[in-house]
Amino acid sequence: MSTTGHKTWPKLTSREEFRFIAELVLKHSTGDHTLVSLHDQQSGTTRFANNQIVQNVDTRRGSLSVTVAFGRRHGTASTTDFTAGAVQETVARATQIAHLSPDDPEYLPPAEPQQYLTPPTTRAETAAAGPARRLEYANEAIGQCRIENLGAAGIVSSSIATVGVAASTGLFAHEERTDARFSLTVQAGEATGWGAAAHRSIDHLRVQERTLTAINKAKRGLEVRELPPGRYTVILEPAAVAGLWSSLLWTLDAKSYEKGTSALSGKLSQPIVDKRLTLRNLPAHEDLLGIGFTADGLPTVASDWIAEGALTQLSYDRFTAKVRGIDTIPTLDAPCLSGTGPSLPTLHELIKHTERAILVTNFWYIRTVNPTDLTLTGMTRDGTFLVENGAIVSAVKNFRFHESPLQVFNRIAAFTHPAEAITSETGKLLVPAMTLLNFNFSSVTRF
Amino acid sequence: MSLLDWNDLAEVALKRVVASGAEYGDIRLLDSTTQTIRGEDRRIASIRETQDRGFGIRVLYHGAWGFAASSVLSLEEAPRVADLAIEIAKGSASLVIQKVKLADEPVHRDRIVTAQRIDPFAVALENKTALLLETMEYVHRQPGIVRSSANLWARRDRKLFVSTEGSRLEFDLLAVNGDFDATALHDGRFASRSFNTPHLRMGYELIEDANFLAEAPRIASQAVEKVKAATIEPGLYDLVLDPEHLSLTMHESCGHPSELDRALGYEANYAGTSFLTTEKRGAFRYGSPHVNLVADNREPETLAATGYDDDGVACQQWDIVRDGIFVGYCTNREVAPKIGETRSRGSNRADSWGSVPIVRIANIGLEPGTATLDELLADVKRGIYIEGHGSYSIDQRRYNFQFGGDAFWMIENGKRTRMVRDVVYHGITPEFWGSCDGVADRSHRRRYGFITCGKGQPGQSGWMTHPASHARFRNVHVIGGQAGS
Repeated sequence: MSTTGHKTWPKLTSREEFRFIAELVLKHSTGDHTLVSLHDQQSGTTRFANNQIVQNVDTRRGSLSVTVAFGRRHGTASTTDFTAGAVQETVARATQIAHLSPDDPEYLPPAEPQQYLTPPTTRAETAAAGPARRLEYANEAIGQCRIENLGAAGIVSSSIATVGVAASTGLFAHEERTDARFSLTVQAGEATGWGAAAHRSIDHLRVQERTLTAINKAKRGLEVRELPPGRYTVILEPAAVAGLWSSLLWTLDAKSYEKGTSALSGKLSQPIVDKRLTLRNLPAHEDLLGIGFTADGLPTVASDWIAEGALTQLSYDRFTAKVRGIDTIPTLDAPCLSGTGPSLPTLHELIKHTERAILVTNFWYIRTVNPTDLTLTGMTRDGTFLVENGAIVSAVKNFRFHESPLQVFNRIAAFTHPAEAITSETGKLLVPAMTLLNFNFSSVTRF
Repeated sequence: MSLLDWNDLAEVALKRVVASGAEYGDIRLLDSTTQTIRGEDRRIASIRETQDRGFGIRVLYHGAWGFAASSVLSLEEAPRVADLAIEIAKGSASLVIQKVKLADEPVHRDRIVTAQRIDPFAVALENKTALLLETMEYVHRQPGIVRSSANLWARRDRKLFVSTEGSRLEFDLLAVNGDFDATALHDGRFASRSFNTPHLRMGYELIEDANFLAEAPRIASQAVEKVKAATIEPGLYDLVLDPEHLSLTMHESCGHPSELDRALGYEANYAGTSFLTTEKRGAFRYGSPHVNLVADNREPETLAATGYDDDGVACQQWDIVRDGIFVGYCTNREVAPKIGETRSRGSNRADSWGSVPIVRIANIGLEPGTATLDELLADVKRGIYIEGHGSYSIDQRRYNFQFGGDAFWMIENGKRTRMVRDVVYHGITPEFWGSCDGVADRSHRRRYGFITCGKGQPGQSGWMTHPASHARFRNVHVIGGQAGS
């Protein structure tokens, strides 16, 4: 296998090809309104465990979705078959569904033509990467672990997709998006260490650096202590912070807010977290996975969501936005959480300035326990340590936590600059590492 | 493409695989149709029919796997995808330490069709939307209800599996589900109560027999009762769990740890490993003698009862836990030989043509006992009766778990009394199952399951059913589900 020049035939659906298909759909549709959506992707994942490849896959999947509306009756059909006959048949199915649907009082016609930003959604090096490049990175991670006599389990993935939205209103959007990911769990007997990355560019995965981090965590975990459950000062690495924030971001839905079925109901313009925290959407940020447009064909926008700890924005569907007279719907495709005021540059500095705390690499299986106050539960995972007098002194057995981000992010002792964070359960965010006080660990597990 | 064309495509692809010198290869061609009708707050929010067609080719070359797939179903695409799968397998082989050796399986030629009384795709759409709208209207008649949802879902999978060993299997499979819920608001709090049919492999008769309209007033009334109910005082309680609730408890605390690929470390980077390590098989006390957990992928209508898995292995029945002792794993042809088993248990499944099959939880169910539900309740002085699914979380080796539920009632002096809210219980898996001291009889048995079981990288959704009768557990740690509890 060569490490470059992966064959990408057949080509993904280009802008011109999507325009041709969209015109075909619009020509055959008899609806008052018609919306066409494209997602065409070539993706591959090399997965390893016990220091060898256990899965190695490459999938090309193209999907075309058509929504047809008559008045306020609408129906959607989709297909993975892009031949002319199948496309026409998809239009016919969407039409048939729409004819048989009841009126939807919240239906809105597709958006009018829009102007879009052009965020950096694609990188040529990722588009060109194929199985050989993924294998190269997997080999690098496995090799480092073998040298240390440790076990490596993880993935290297890369994908390229073309995404499009077009409508009978003249709306048209199309862009290419690439995505590359690496994650690694290093096993040292019972102990594990973890690291992960996601980026538009496969060159930015920093496989060697993250492998060394995971190795060091696993090796530190060989001596493990059991501490009792209780309230502790914690240092959360960016991935752990991202886990808690992802749950908070899910509660920003405006319709739930207005119906009173959100933990944030009534809190717009009110402080919800420490006043030093600001949450922004930054679609053009090179290290985030911003996109140019939404599934509705609306442009993504840079926007503030939490300013000086106060909730300033909600996540609107088009209908609720219209009712509220909101013309430009803010998006949250590229979230960045940052702190103002004094901060420390790195996690290392955060540890150095801590007298006693539990250092958490990552959380796992975070779930909402109580949607009214946003109490969450979850487990620490793959590197949980006791910090004393500015240094890690031992690993500790993993804890279960019960906390609400609406409470715990009001107990911030210190934070770093924002850093890239991704977990297996969250999208990518930029967030600081943080020291939080009185964090509630409710029970301990066996390892 | 017609089935005839599918045969041509399979032949072209597998000829290529055989010519490469690979020791094994298979192809799955799949045509899936999914209809989803989603109701929200007294309106039909969306009706979507998804057609998903494609094929995936798996190649075992010099003891290492490669897999490639495409949604372009053509005789021109087949050789490209076959060659890519071969190329990828050769790359995997360059890092091989322990070669994959597949457990033997007889060659099968068969056709599997889901039995149905009413084809869900033939039922008039107007009837389905009318049912959902009327259900939501019934829910909203209850004062205090502020939101509702009601949904119907149906899926048909037409599949062809062909292997280089000579197996050729055709499938025409159905699955159906419906649900609705009600959300009540009171004193700044909100709470939901839901009604779900199980996901089962049958026709629309599942929905008709569920009688949404008869259930809607009860669900709405209980949502209001729930939001107004008192919170629980934390402490040790006896629990009586209903079959729907138990399906999730079994899934997380027994199903996942019994997947052999997890025990062998394959999932260490994502779903996790298992506390049921291989040396424990046959000796480890998983639960009390009342606990018999049986995998049965042959029971009609259950989700994993597909006749054959995606290794082409015939579905089987076997013990996971017998008289409280852990005795068996869910396996595929790759991992079964690693623990000395000569045949796979037939639990290798992929969630689409574009995904590679991985070990999946079987239809693991709790065998019925001899008690009635009333008898289980009668012997509880201070306990909680739990119905349905709520919050759930468990560590990556499946020891420390926590479960909520959909509805909770106090059991006081042997009787189910008032509703309570925000109940969660937690424990360590073998201790929890060790506290089981009674299982209700077969007349209480229900079959709930999941189509959203997350596992694998890239992530896949697994389907399985977990039948159970009510069961009682003693002295379980219960906490209130509020911040800081």
